[in-house]
Amino acid sequence: MKTNKIGMRIFLLIAAFLLLLFFSNDFGLIDIQKTSIITAIGIDAGEEGGMDITAQIAVPEAGNSGKAGNVSVKGARTVGEAISLLNLKTGWYPTLVHCRLILLGEAATKTDVFRSLDYFLRSQFVEDSCLVAVCAERAEDALGAQSPVGDMTYAAIEKVLSSEAQKTGLVSVNNLREFSKGYYSVGKSSFLPVLTLKKDAQAEGGGSSSANESQSGSSAKSASAGSDLFDASSTMLFFRGRQADVLSAEETLAFNLAYTATDFAYGNVSVSENGENVTYNLKIKITKKSEKVSDEKGVPVLRFSIRARAQIADASDAGSAQEVAQSSVVPAFVLQAAQDRLRLQLDAAFKKAQNCGCDLFGVCQSLQRFQPRLLQTLGENALSAAKASFDIRFDTLH
Amino acid sequence: MNEKALNVRQICFLFAAILPVTRMLVYPATLSYRAKNDLVWAALISFAAEFAVIALLLLLAKKTDLTFFGLVQNTFGRVAARIACFVFSLYFFFSSLLPVLEQRGFILQVFYENVSSFLSFIPFVAVSLYASVKGLRSTGRVADLSLPIFAVCIPVLLLLALPEADFTALLPVGSTGAGNIFRSAAEGMNWFGGAAYMLFFLGNFRYEKKSAVKILSAYGIGAAIVLFFLALFYGIFSDIAILQQNALAHISKYATSFTSLGRIDLLFIFALSPVLLFALCLPLQLSTRCAAEALHVRPVFPAAAIHLLLLLFILFFNQSYLEIQTLMTQKLWYVFVVFALLLPALALVLRREKGAGAGGARLKNGRRL
Repeated sequence: MKTNKIGMRIFLLIAAFLLLLFFSNDFGLIDIQKTSIITAIGIDAGEEGGMDITAQIAVPEAGNSGKAGNVSVKGARTVGEAISLLNLKTGWYPTLVHCRLILLGEAATKTDVFRSLDYFLRSQFVEDSCLVAVCAERAEDALGAQSPVGDMTYAAIEKVLSSEAQKTGLVSVNNLREFSKGYYSVGKSSFLPVLTLKKDAQAEGGGSSSANESQSGSSAKSASAGSDLFDASSTMLFFRGRQADVLSAEETLAFNLAYTATDFAYGNVSVSENGENVTYNLKIKITKKSEKVSDEKGVPVLRFSIRARAQIADASDAGSAQEVAQSSVVPAFVLQAAQDRLRLQLDAAFKKAQNCGCDLFGVCQSLQRFQPRLLQTLGENALSAAKASFDIRFDTLH
Repeated sequence: MNEKALNVRQICFLFAAILPVTRMLVYPATLSYRAKNDLVWAALISFAAEFAVIALLLLLAKKTDLTFFGLVQNTFGRVAARIACFVFSLYFFFSSLLPVLEQRGFILQVFYENVSSFLSFIPFVAVSLYASVKGLRSTGRVADLSLPIFAVCIPVLLLLALPEADFTALLPVGSTGAGNIFRSAAEGMNWFGGAAYMLFFLGNFRYEKKSAVKILSAYGIGAAIVLFFLALFYGIFSDIAILQQNALAHISKYATSFTSLGRIDLLFIFALSPVLLFALCLPLQLSTRCAAEALHVRPVFPAAAIHLLLLLFILFFNQSYLEIQTLMTQKLWYVFVVFALLLPALALVLRREKGAGAGGARLKNGRRL
């Protein structure tokens, strides 16, 4: 009996030890020196229908300093092939678990981007929470840019595309999950921010563009005197995975204020005062917003309802002491001008999207969920038949 | 002193905390393959059916203290009872195969394992073997352990996921058609073994006043949590829901991945892993008990054979999750409907009067089946 108890205890200890190994993944132990962590992937159109893939790689090292560099593979037919080639050429086993950014070169968006993006959806080991953006030029160049905020360029780009940027309406941020949802939805539409690389005057030659299967460490880049800045204020519209049109910065802001998670923004509005053109910089806090598609005699009408509170942040004209003190009070004519401007930009964004077939505001999806019969009746013409109406009201302290 | 292996509280915890977690990995994506935005309705059908069968079994438990073996023996004799136990042993083993591979995918993804190794399964098999030898008493203790983990982790994960969900994605209701909804419910039956478990809990717990109400309420709570989870899941992923194989690992990451804290949700997902492990052991435990009774041997022998078979299965099908999933859900779904719903429901027609030696068969180690 006693032997039995001792045997059971030994068995328990062994089971506990094995469980510890199981849950701490020591059974899947791999040599960290042979592992590279891909933090960002750039996809560009290559020659003869192929694609050029650039991976920004962080290599963990003992101590505080890690290295990062870009590795490119040119002319791959698929992303999967490019990843295999990375392994073949470098000896690293790339893990995409920590890939937080996918950049698409502008040329790559002229064909269905899901030719390459579906790789990331197929694998369970790639996080679909990663950010996706389009580069105004080549993704490889953007990833090779000199970051002003850290060793790794992806960190700088991630900051530009952060949720804070989204909240202030400057950028229409999108991640792989949302972009894919749009692509596979009834509207087959989505959007991505357009990342423009603005070269600093001192940074001539500071960036590192990778040669074929070449490697360039960021430590070398950090010796560069200057830095590159990123701008993502415009937004590219997609229909069936292809580039359809681009929203300007002002249209992007209007789109964000009306439709996305933006609830706070700064915007300029120009009015004529005493024969002079004065620009007010308004701080706008969205208090309520909604959009609803209704069936009005067989026509889908998208009704935007926006309520906002505005304050004066600054003005191009010098104000009196009293005016500066009362910056929370916005004159009625400035409010009206701000309302009109938002309506104008929002209407422009709606029409631009409508004309290129991009269901930016989810008209078809809304019809599918709430008015399926109308969608069935209108079929492919649902978006082009839609009309927009606006109920925008800005308020201020009185 | 309660001589029974289980008590009502532990059964409640099993239905409220352990079984719901097993329906939060691949089950949501499996449902959305056919039922799409109607996945909640498909799941509701499965839950309603299982709830009804468990209610019938509790009615039986109220009227008799006999085990399933005792009931079959009373009605058809000892040989038939042994055959029935053997068949159920095969069923429980069969029903554990998909979850084992499901768990593999989950571990690979959540623990960032780079190489899927056969060796990774050894500790699980060791724990399951131990639990199988220990019997139903260990199931009860595990249920007691699992509830606090579940009660802390699931609300956190659901709350983290909630802001990302757009519940209008579930509209319009019924758009996929009744045929697809029912077919989807049938294909998800691999994840509904609760009634079969309850069948073998008969005679192993003391039926007290309001036991049925307590157990069914616990079941209802577990079902409600899973239904809410499914709604949340589809609200987050909508048209790409089918691609999300390990739903539990995905739903909360969007709230945390780009924060300065990072993926703190992983802590709660890690914590739930032992609960999933316990759930995985349950059909293997019951398979062992049934085989031990059918062959009238000590549980350690069938336990060793069953776990050896399991290891062989893993060895050959380690990389064949999709094939096994397709086989279990789309081709052999009726096996689960029969064993998890129909046969447990038919237990109600078995003779309840005690015959000679029918008061619950005893295993060689003296415990009751």
